[in-house]
Amino acid sequence: MNYERADLREQLAGAYVVGTLRGPARLRFARACAGSQNLRSAVHRWEDQLLPLLECVAPVIPRARVWDKILWRTGARLTAPLTRTLSWRWALAGGLALSLGVLVSVRVLYSPLQVVATVGQDRMHPLWTVSRSADSNILEIRALQNVQSSSRSAYELWALPGQGNSPVSLGLLPRTGTIKRRLSIVERGAMLRSNRLAVSLEPLGGSPTGAPTGPVLILSDVRHST
Amino acid sequence: MSLPEPDNVVLEALQSRCARQDHRALSELYKKVSPYLLALLLRMLRTRDLAEDALQDVFVRVWRQAGQFEVRRGRALAWMASISRYRALDMLRGRQAWVGVEAVSEVSVSAARPESTLTQRTLDHCLNLLSGDQRHCLGLAYQQGLTQDNIATSLGYSIGTVKSWVCRALSSLRRCLDS
Repeated sequence: MNYERADLREQLAGAYVVGTLRGPARLRFARACAGSQNLRSAVHRWEDQLLPLLECVAPVIPRARVWDKILWRTGARLTAPLTRTLSWRWALAGGLALSLGVLVSVRVLYSPLQVVATVGQDRMHPLWTVSRSADSNILEIRALQNVQSSSRSAYELWALPGQGNSPVSLGLLPRTGTIKRRLSIVERGAMLRSNRLAVSLEPLGGSPTGAPTGPVLILSDVRHST
Repeated sequence: MSLPEPDNVVLEALQSRCARQDHRALSELYKKVSPYLLALLLRMLRTRDLAEDALQDVFVRVWRQAGQFEVRRGRALAWMASISRYRALDMLRGRQAWVGVEAVSEVSVSAARPESTLTQRTLDHCLNLLSGDQRHCLGLAYQQGLTQDNIATSLGYSIGTVKSWVCRALSSLRRCLDS
């Protein structure tokens, strides 16, 4: 499809933003967006101009546990949030358990990590190592050299659970240094089920769709401990 | 009641700090924007648990992709609202949600807003150029996340008619918004 035709581009961008572009066509369009500034601009223009339609809503304050979970998932907390209101006895018991949990979590965070994959074009030129803790809660990605990419693109790491399951993003790969963070339940499950990892080229900031949109550049095997 | 839009400059500054992994900035951003985003997620997903799950995903994504916004240079709230809507659409499509006729409420796409900005007034003007059916279909798809199949069944029109209305509505809006 010729996405560079202005009228078609605008129509598809509008349908994408409104949500009426669906299924494989939506995915194809999202992939095309990753490689076309014109398409991205068309999408952004629709998003900005239709925004007032969303503003006729009464605000709703989220429950406190939502923020707790966000903190946990973004790595600002070491322990999973409690989700129930507790009586004081349970709170006391929970407090003790929580203290133990914190100790365990701290221990996990600083426990030795095992390298489960070496990611690179070939064995002679590794670019990153991917390590995880014994319980697979912590993921560490280490850049082995200064990895080059354009200023408008990024490398994203994916777990490939197989058996018809969609790839699950494990986050952006660092160009230098090390990223160490706690995995969400979904990421951990995908990591444990995956025998391979993939690296795709994505727009800066990562895939806009939650699935790989750019070319898959690297596939690497995962070594599961026995 | 509408939610006053947070200052875009403030939101952009907070997102820049998020890109540098500043959790305090994420906290401030959450306080300013989460009630608005949860409201629009609730309108699409209809249950609080689902909407709050989506809100979590949205803020985790905002945290990880805050750097992407700096490149885009759009309105900060539009960026986060779009992430929220796309997440809700994924959840709706993933569970093949069905919304019956009784759940399809009239959409207030032309409702007067207390503090109309130029963008809002322009959009209102362009929406008023659409037919009532076109406006209604567009609102159901955009605000509530309904598929064109859902809209057709719910309103008692053929899918072809609904697709045609949505297509013409988008063309007409584009022409008007560009003029």
